[in-house]
Amino acid sequence: MSTDTFGGASQRSVDNLASRLRRRQVVGSRATALETLLVLRQVVSKARFSNMEQLVEIIRSVGRRLVDAQPKEHSVGNTVRKVLHHIREEYHTASGTNAATMPQTFSIAKFVLLGQPRQHTVAPKAGGAKGTLKENDPDDPDSFARGLKPVLMEAIQDVLDELETVYDNVSKNAKDHIHSDEIILTLGMSKTVEAFLKSAAHHRKYTVIVAETAPSYGGREMAQSLSSAGISTFLVPDSSMFAIMSRVNKVILGAHAIFANGGMFATSGSLIAATAAQAHRTPVVVCAGQFKLTPLWNLYHEYGALDFGDPNSVLGFEEGDLVDKVEVVNPYYDYIGPELIDGFITNDGDHPPSSIYRLLKETYDDEDNEL
Amino acid sequence: MPPKPPSAGKEKLIDDDEEVLQAVILADSFNKRFRPLTTRKPRCLLPICNAPLLDWTFESLALAGVQEIFVICRSHAEQVKAAIRESKWSKPGSGIKIVPILTAKETFSPGDAMRDIYTRGLVTSDFVLVMGDLVSNIRIDEVVRVHKERRKTNKNAIMTMVVKESGARHRTKARGDSSVFVLDPETSECLYYEPVTAFPQTTLAHVPREVLAAHPEIEIRNDLIDCSIDVCSVEVPSLFQDNFDYLDIRRDFVHGVLTSDLLMKNIHCYVAKDGYAARVKDTKSYESVSKDILSRWTFPLVPDDNHPSGHVYDHERGNKYIAKDHSVVLARTCKIGNNTLIGSSTHISENAQVLASVIGKNCSIGTSTIIRNSYIFDGTVVGSDCIIERSIIGSNVTIKDGTEIQKGCLLGDGVIIGPAAKLSPFQRLSKKPDEADEPTSDDEDDEDSDLEEVEELQGSIPKNLGKDSNALVWPTAPSEDAEEDEIANFKNERFMRLGDDASDLDDSDDGSESSSSESESDDDSDFDVNASSLTAPSDTSLPLNLPAGSPMAESEFQTEVKQSLERAFAEGHSVDNAAVELKTLRMASNVPLTRVREAVVAAIVEKIQVVDTGAVAQRKEIASVIARWGELIDRIGGVDPVETVAALQSHCASSKHLPLFGQILAALYQDDIVEEDDIRKWHKLPVSKGEGLKAKEDELENLRKCWSIGAHMIKQFDEQESESDEDDDDEDEQDDETAKLQSSEMVKPESEEDSEEESEEETQETTGNPKVEAKLESEEGSDESEEETSGSAAQLEREKDASGGNVDVVVDQTARKQETSEEESSEEEESGEDESEEEVVKPLAKAEASVQHEVKGAAGVEDKDKSPVVVAAGEGATAQSEEEEDDDEDEDEDEDEEEDEDEEDSDEEEDSDNAEGSQAADGLKGDTVLKQTK
Repeated sequence: MSTDTFGGASQRSVDNLASRLRRRQVVGSRATALETLLVLRQVVSKARFSNMEQLVEIIRSVGRRLVDAQPKEHSVGNTVRKVLHHIREEYHTASGTNAATMPQTFSIAKFVLLGQPRQHTVAPKAGGAKGTLKENDPDDPDSFARGLKPVLMEAIQDVLDELETVYDNVSKNAKDHIHSDEIILTLGMSKTVEAFLKSAAHHRKYTVIVAETAPSYGGREMAQSLSSAGISTFLVPDSSMFAIMSRVNKVILGAHAIFANGGMFATSGSLIAATAAQAHRTPVVVCAGQFKLTPLWNLYHEYGALDFGDPNSVLGFEEGDLVDKVEVVNPYYDYIGPELIDGFITNDGDHPPSSIYRLLKETYDDEDNEL
Repeated sequence: MPPKPPSAGKEKLIDDDEEVLQAVILADSFNKRFRPLTTRKPRCLLPICNAPLLDWTFESLALAGVQEIFVICRSHAEQVKAAIRESKWSKPGSGIKIVPILTAKETFSPGDAMRDIYTRGLVTSDFVLVMGDLVSNIRIDEVVRVHKERRKTNKNAIMTMVVKESGARHRTKARGDSSVFVLDPETSECLYYEPVTAFPQTTLAHVPREVLAAHPEIEIRNDLIDCSIDVCSVEVPSLFQDNFDYLDIRRDFVHGVLTSDLLMKNIHCYVAKDGYAARVKDTKSYESVSKDILSRWTFPLVPDDNHPSGHVYDHERGNKYIAKDHSVVLARTCKIGNNTLIGSSTHISENAQVLASVIGKNCSIGTSTIIRNSYIFDGTVVGSDCIIERSIIGSNVTIKDGTEIQKGCLLGDGVIIGPAAKLSPFQRLSKKPDEADEPTSDDEDDEDSDLEEVEELQGSIPKNLGKDSNALVWPTAPSEDAEEDEIANFKNERFMRLGDDASDLDDSDDGSESSSSESESDDDSDFDVNASSLTAPSDTSLPLNLPAGSPMAESEFQTEVKQSLERAFAEGHSVDNAAVELKTLRMASNVPLTRVREAVVAAIVEKIQVVDTGAVAQRKEIASVIARWGELIDRIGGVDPVETVAALQSHCASSKHLPLFGQILAALYQDDIVEEDDIRKWHKLPVSKGEGLKAKEDELENLRKCWSIGAHMIKQFDEQESESDEDDDDEDEQDDETAKLQSSEMVKPESEEDSEEESEEETQETTGNPKVEAKLESEEGSDESEEETSGSAAQLEREKDASGGNVDVVVDQTARKQETSEEESSEEEESGEDESEEEVVKPLAKAEASVQHEVKGAAGVEDKDKSPVVVAAGEGATAQSEEEEDDDEDEDEDEDEEEDEDEEDSDEEEDSDNAEGSQAADGLKGDTVLKQTK
């Protein structure tokens, strides 16, 4: 779709976000998801369209550009998919064509394919708008957009609200997962895990061991934050992870992206922790917001997908003699297969890795998997 | 003009941040290191990792949030303009406004470009100045923030240079073009800057001692990569405008600002801990920056993430980057090595090997060809069975089957070579100019003339380019008439050449080049550092170019000063005004402070009229002139009474005011312009005796007369000290006297100790050898500034006198080096006494000989001339050197005489304390008498 279907201002904001994504000026799954959502809201509010297909195409084209700008921030694409899903839902509700199209026949194949929505969509809110929507009105091409926009804004707002409350929702059941006098191992600086552990600390007394997580040393920050919240915290070097694993009751990890097969990308070092936990049969639990669910499988273990940073934090640039002779690899993420993970704690309940695919089916529409 | 982003967007950006951050890119290299690649293309459009350098620079600036960029282009300006117009940066939404500025063809240096920026009034606030070949991911906005913060408290902090730490050796740090930074670790102020060249190898950096005096802690660093990212305030272009001789931003501007004691501006350094920044200055740094990009030091500016040209590459294990659009054809049996980049639509055939190289778009590599460490631009076709090593191949080049290209070759665009051509290392080829295309616009005049020159040379160059070749071979050695400055000389350039480790230069340096540098430094009479023969015979040293005016300018300056002072005398200006005038004059003609002092002293002495009517009238005349104008001597920009006395001496020696020397000195003493200590110090200087000076015989004689007058004056002081108990009429005077007494007492025992040590340690030293005295002084830590006298004794002394003008820092090409302790160096010299020292000793011996003759022949006033020799001998070690005795027959004689005299002198010294009758004693006494009678 050509770019003139939405205004110059939103065009610029898309470009702006795209270049900031490229330059890594926006990093972190939640931050990028929020930024993406704000841009989408602007785009939708300014967009001119006269039927549903045009609107979807506009959003998808924006999504494509943002994803191309930074394919390694999966939450950008996820957010776009989620918005598309919500918009379709609202549209169906508004135009009254809702579940009528849903096949009512029961077959195991269809059940697996489509899944059963866990939560039925709330009763149609915009009852008054029902029936008044008219697509492709030749007399007044804007009437469709005019009629639908308030609902669309509401849909986007829903996604925004979900993003903003994600930490609270993930950690609301924390006390059910962490018991008194347990020893928890975590690593890296994950806001979700931080909120989760802090929330559990209100009800339980337990100990956290944080691995330093070289080369980013996010673990230090995490340990500081946790101990200032009154949790008894130990900071240990990464190398001692296996040695202490026998005493650990549970490993809690953050995630960068969760894949359809139940595997995930997490900060580098997580794979060691997960493997050590596997050896000691220690449960590995992942805390993550739903916006990290990604309809990808990582089938080919694409090398570049791990997102390699600059060698500076591993080997100082001032080591002139070595720089020329040593090849430094500094990946941001590890791929952790589903077999190493015991459960995901999301803002939408707890799930085993094997049911992530179903969660994905509920969250996104199949047609959006390829933007 | 490129389309500007809609004003609405700009306004929004301005609203976001109250001030637009501006940047200026100098998109011209002002040198020819990349020729012949740059004959048809400006350097900033050469691709590195398949994106033009200028795009990397833009991206670096965009990363820092720069919103307005001025691109100053000179050569091939139209191409630069077109490239900017077509790039993504000129699209709306890029958030950056890029304005190409075309400067005149006459812009030959960055300095000229800066003046152009000033005259156009481009910048309105603090701006970032970078070169058009920068690759960086440093957060320049952070540097700007620090700079602005500093500006709030210190208005004189005009510039912040970004430097990056690297080790002693680093592929990205150019050996041929590095620098020594002297930093204050606390404020990160840059206190001193000096460029370092690999050839001739710079072994010494000369740190002005004011720097050491003013800062308790300094860092002297040679391990910094100069990124050429400067955050400048608006004054910087205007400073260039004021100083029209500034050419290079570092060598002239930074060095100039830091060494100037008139501008009073500070330059700071920002030592970047994180991030990467480097310039593609030459072919060697082209290679290292390419490697740095491929090994991701520039992250997020890496091929698979934020490629400036918007290409998309797949990142594979081992830092291999293959274009992602599935247009690359890699044969099943080809081998792609680590750290390789392959552009889209490129075809690599069976059994070909591409190792650690960059291949452009639409290239074709034939079967069994090996490409190693090479950089091949777009559209090049390489045949089968070729070998390409460590070379840069331009775009649309055709290399036919069986060609071998050895390291360091540069092939210009459109060259065809082969089949079976063989290029020797470092060959440079370009395409023969076609008759068909006649682009001879004014723009390419100089390029064409270069080409013609190359064409003329074709016959003389042996070559094997294959039968189908259309190439011209460029000469490898420099043509004789090429003018060479330090950085750009051919041998130094070799350190910047791709694949050239210049190891032969390192080896051959030692013997052959030290001699040349010696002869070079001999020419440089004004400021001469000939360390090679003294400290480390094998090292070569580079004479430092302190701003020293040419003889022409100096004589002009002398007359100017004279005229301006005459005017001041005649019109009765205030001392302040006269001082300001002198400062301006000095700045304009760029002469050292010493010259000004000499000129002022000379003018004041000339102002004093020789009165015939008697000593009292003469004294009155002197006192009035000195009282009125003497202050001026200390107001010209620095106080250095010892130098003042020396200047007075040298002037009196060559003018009719010789008889007045003692009286004038006394008058200066009375007016507190010269203190007793200063006279003592001056008196101790060997040059004060006229030693080692290449002056005429009668002038030498006069100098010695003055010296003896000084000696008498000192005796007078000593007397007064002993008599000071009796002096009780004037309180002020008494205070003065006691102060002097104390200070002289403080000096005295020290010198005694020294002489004792001397005699113990240095039994090999001869009497009167200036080394002894020099050592004495350095141990005393005396405060003499450098003497501007020529002659080997003075030079030698400057070398030894560590506390004098400069501190020599040994610049090994390693990391930080602190100065070596003085004792070490002097011991080294003593143990390793070589021929050069003998050379130095001889003129001295002659000078002494002449003194001896005088002593024999002269009578009356000249009789007192004995004492200087004697005092010097007494102070120095008296033991005779065995070596020296073997030296010459004449010298032996002299020395024998000296020895004899030594014995006499111990008595005579005491005697002469009581002796009176010299003019100085007369003058001084007379004055004290006058005071007492008042």
